[in-house]
Amino acid sequence: MSPSPVGPYLPLAVTLLVSGLMAAALPVLAHFLGPRRASKVKSESFECGSVSEGSARQRFAVKFYVVALLFIVFDIETVFLYPWAVNFKALGWFGYAEVAAFAATLLVGLAYVWKKGALEWET
Amino acid sequence: MLPVPLPHTLALAAVLFCLGMVGVMVRRNALVVFMCVELMLNAANLTFLAFAQAHGDTTGHVSAFFVIAVAAAEASVGLAIVIAVFRSRGTVNLEELKTMKH
Amino acid sequence: MTLPDLTAADLQPVLPALVLAAGASVLLLSEVFLTTASRSHLALIALGSSVLAGGVALATAFEPAHAVFQGLAVQDPFSSFVTVVVCLGLAGVVLLSADFLKQRQAERGEYYALMLFAAAGMSLLAMSAELITLFINLEVLSVSTYALTAFLRRGPRPAEAAFKYFILGAFSAALFLYGSALLYGVTGTTRLADMVGPLRTAMHTQPWLATCALALVAAGFAFKVAAVPFHMWAPDVYEGAPTPVTALMSAGVKAAAFAGLVRVFLFLGRADPEVVALALSALAVLTMVGGNLLALPQRNVKRMLAYSSIAHAGYLLLGVAALFPHPGTGVLAATPLMLGSPAVNSADAYKGILFYLLAYTVSSVGAFGVLSVLERHADGDGATAWDLDRFSGLAQRRPGWAVAMAAFMLSLAGIPPTVGFMGKLLVFRAAVDSGLLGLAIIGVLASAAGAYYYLRIVVYMFMRPAPAEGVLPEKYWATELALVASAVAVVALGVLPGRVADWLSQSGMFFGTR
Repeated sequence: MSPSPVGPYLPLAVTLLVSGLMAAALPVLAHFLGPRRASKVKSESFECGSVSEGSARQRFAVKFYVVALLFIVFDIETVFLYPWAVNFKALGWFGYAEVAAFAATLLVGLAYVWKKGALEWET
Repeated sequence: MLPVPLPHTLALAAVLFCLGMVGVMVRRNALVVFMCVELMLNAANLTFLAFAQAHGDTTGHVSAFFVIAVAAAEASVGLAIVIAVFRSRGTVNLEELKTMKH
Repeated sequence: MTLPDLTAADLQPVLPALVLAAGASVLLLSEVFLTTASRSHLALIALGSSVLAGGVALATAFEPAHAVFQGLAVQDPFSSFVTVVVCLGLAGVVLLSADFLKQRQAERGEYYALMLFAAAGMSLLAMSAELITLFINLEVLSVSTYALTAFLRRGPRPAEAAFKYFILGAFSAALFLYGSALLYGVTGTTRLADMVGPLRTAMHTQPWLATCALALVAAGFAFKVAAVPFHMWAPDVYEGAPTPVTALMSAGVKAAAFAGLVRVFLFLGRADPEVVALALSALAVLTMVGGNLLALPQRNVKRMLAYSSIAHAGYLLLGVAALFPHPGTGVLAATPLMLGSPAVNSADAYKGILFYLLAYTVSSVGAFGVLSVLERHADGDGATAWDLDRFSGLAQRRPGWAVAMAAFMLSLAGIPPTVGFMGKLLVFRAAVDSGLLGLAIIGVLASAAGAYYYLRIVVYMFMRPAPAEGVLPEKYWATELALVASAVAVVALGVLPGRVADWLSQSGMFFGTR
């Protein structure tokens, strides 16, 4: 048995405690500090910004699709950054150069997407 | 924690793969067919991971990462094509995609 | 922990692919940052990249075979030659695309960028010696081609073709991937070279799992090369895609997929040469006969060329089958299980396959090129755009095009003095030498039947009167250059195949053989 079985879990406990306190404190603070003005829209039941009643089979604007896909494609790339980040010290400059080349490629894609106007919401 | 035995994982993956394969062949909605293809890819991924665990080897884990990334790229192009089909035909039913039968 | 070691020696073999990818990135950026009215620079950048990449590949083609990237890839004359063929095909397709896109007001950097990315994937596919690397490159080239198929969004056809191509391509990729996962399971590795021994053991200890894995990998490739009975997507996709993209599919994609197939089965086939040889032979017969028979009744020339492309995959499969010793011919006794000297009898088969890839690339790019100039923008995507009547009397109206098309048709039919004849000769001879006499006879008969539909076009061009109405499109230098270059290559390589054939006969063609 290791000398202190609790030891490695101490940071976890601290994190749990802090996040628990935050979760409790924020609503309380908001309740006392925030202004409150009731309106018709606000009293509706909340459903991620879409209309809460009616057919579920409505069509969405295609711009949702573009944003969602760009998110997926760029999000998935972090899959390759995590293993590098975990082994950051062991991989050294070699790993850094590899990841820099990878990120530069992504940057070309981002520049293209940006200039193409795919990130503009209001068009 | 007891590890899940290898045959169990492999059987699950095989079942998922077959479900996906049958789905591609019999389903008529383009989006469902597309999801079935994704199911097949994920079954292959599960197989990689199960064997990686059994062999105690990281190759399978690395493979899974790459497959996920490739599948995302494929999904973005695939969904764009589904949208193009919908725009030109107003439907994603595969029964109605028959302009080129001779 | 040992760090992977990456040196200039590792990067040099992938230089062609790097050039292509860099060209593609430049095209993408110039599309958004350089908004000039004239867009002819796009085709020039693409052409320059493909010529440069092909030149680099040619310059390194004579280096001895060696493994790079810790065995994930190999460089050998085989991979360099495939890269050269891909770059040649790409250059031709880019030249054809310039005018095709201009007429349709669709000159976009993305189009050429996708083509270059696809070609980079093809080049790397020919080098891959590890299953995941192979899968990624297969997907790089496939995903680019899916997008290219849907590039011209006029009417329902391109979208429909792209969807069919996408679903069947993704399906075949999933088959390949699941097969790879099972192979990883039974052998504990994904590197082809390390896989041979464990796989041979597994063929006895877990025969069902190992055979199933091999069959799935083979089925994945059979879809990609459009072998019968995995061909049903090809005619619709070839017809629906923009004609230059179809040319890229039939030339580049096919060459790269065959390179991957040869690479995988030269390693894995050693685990059980007889079964693999039998399976490949069966596919070859079905594909040769099926492709030619299905092409016979077609009046739509684009569709006919699609079936013809299937038939040519069959001849190539015959060449691949000839790489393996065949039971009952005594060759197997001479090469004990193909381990010590795996390529005793296969030098001719490599030569046949590679020469055939070159022959098919130049002939099909040319044939689709003539088809693309006859197809008018006003036709939209109606099936009549590629009707046989379009070729009536072409010899009087555009004698140059008619002569070039005749050369391409003779080459595809395998009639001397064209490169197609030399290709068929080499493949059939390799097949006979490795004991596949029956298959070679079937191949000759099938190509004799095929001559009918190729020569029918020649008859229409030279012996039918030209239709009264209808204007022919203007000539454009890039298209003319592509057609002239292909026609000269078809005849020159047919008359004097010497240098290229010598190159292909050198020893150490293929990594892992002598």
